[in-house]
Amino acid sequence: MPQFDPANFIPQLVWLAAIFAVLYFFVVRPTLPKVGRVIDAREGKVAGDLDAAESAKGEADAIRTRYDEGMDAARKAAQAEVAAAREAAARASEVRLKSLAGVLDGKATEAAERLAGACASAKASLTATAAELTGEAVQRLAGIDVPRAEIEAALAAQDRG
Amino acid sequence: MANPMEQFQIEKIVPLDVAGYDFSFTNSSLWMLIAVGAVALFLFIGTAKPQLVPGRAQAAVEYLYEFIRDMLRENVGKEGLRYAPLIFALFIFVLACNLLGMIPFIGAFTPTSHIAVTFGLAAIVFVLVVIVGFARHGLHFFTLFLPEGTPIFVLPLVAAIEFLSFLSRPFTLAIRLFANMTAGHVLLKVFGGFVVALGSFEALPYVFGIIPLGVNVALTALELLIAVVQAYVFALLASIYLNDAVNLH
Repeated sequence: MPQFDPANFIPQLVWLAAIFAVLYFFVVRPTLPKVGRVIDAREGKVAGDLDAAESAKGEADAIRTRYDEGMDAARKAAQAEVAAAREAAARASEVRLKSLAGVLDGKATEAAERLAGACASAKASLTATAAELTGEAVQRLAGIDVPRAEIEAALAAQDRG
Repeated sequence: MANPMEQFQIEKIVPLDVAGYDFSFTNSSLWMLIAVGAVALFLFIGTAKPQLVPGRAQAAVEYLYEFIRDMLRENVGKEGLRYAPLIFALFIFVLACNLLGMIPFIGAFTPTSHIAVTFGLAAIVFVLVVIVGFARHGLHFFTLFLPEGTPIFVLPLVAAIEFLSFLSRPFTLAIRLFANMTAGHVLLKVFGGFVVALGSFEALPYVFGIIPLGVNVALTALELLIAVVQAYVFALLASIYLNDAVNLH
């Protein structure tokens, strides 16, 4: 086998050393670290972008929370306002109802008084009319002129009886 | 039938003699040079304009480089990334030599089928491990041969075994690659010889040659796989040995 011929060792080793040195120092060293830097830069960029996205998401979440809180507060304030308005309206209507009831009560009393007055005057005029009619009837039927006061007293006694 | 060993013959292209030593430029040197040329083409095109969003050529270089860096990260840790260019150079050199040697018809020569070449590469790994080990740990590096938790009465024996296994590493590394490449190429040549021998039967020309030809096609696929796997194994073992130097187990 030519592999085990010692005469082949030295030329191969010498050329291997020279060629591998060229490969390492003039091919790999000037080129590969460039790619390494690009890979690192890419990883850094991706990591940075992810961080930026993360912080943007956090910001958005904070905004969302603040928005929700604001909405809640506004809703509560609006509800309180509505409740207050409702209460005020109820109170105002109650007051008005009360005063209206007073007015109506007054009017009713007045009307009742007027009714009683009217009733009494009607009764009085009825008594007078009855006395007059009775006097006239007695005069026509019996031809007696009974005095007015007597008739009235008799009628009153009959009313009582 | 042609001698299957003939393909490993070293031919002097430019005879050169320096101080009584044979420094001739041979077919082996030529194919190492071609391999480095191919690698240089690959790397210079791939890294001509490095961009954050890589093009095809850059993506290919990055893929291989990340492959080596991942291997070092896994086996050595973050410290190992410093040696990524060297391990990458070893890997790509072995890979290029293995693959270019598979090209048929043009008389391709596989430098990695020669133990002198594989031993030279293994020696680079060995020297690297020793230098890094002593540079990082000083004389403490010798504790590499004293595994933790060994009972004291077997310690000398274990230390001797560990030391021998450490010394044998460059040889196993070299022989594994050389043997794989040599065996594969011999096998291809033998079956190639069968094609010629069987195909030249007078009665039914070509018919019998088809069988070894088919075998040869399948073997070529297998050898391509082995070419890649052996380059990977070489780089993987180099990074595992490097781990000893960096982390002392």
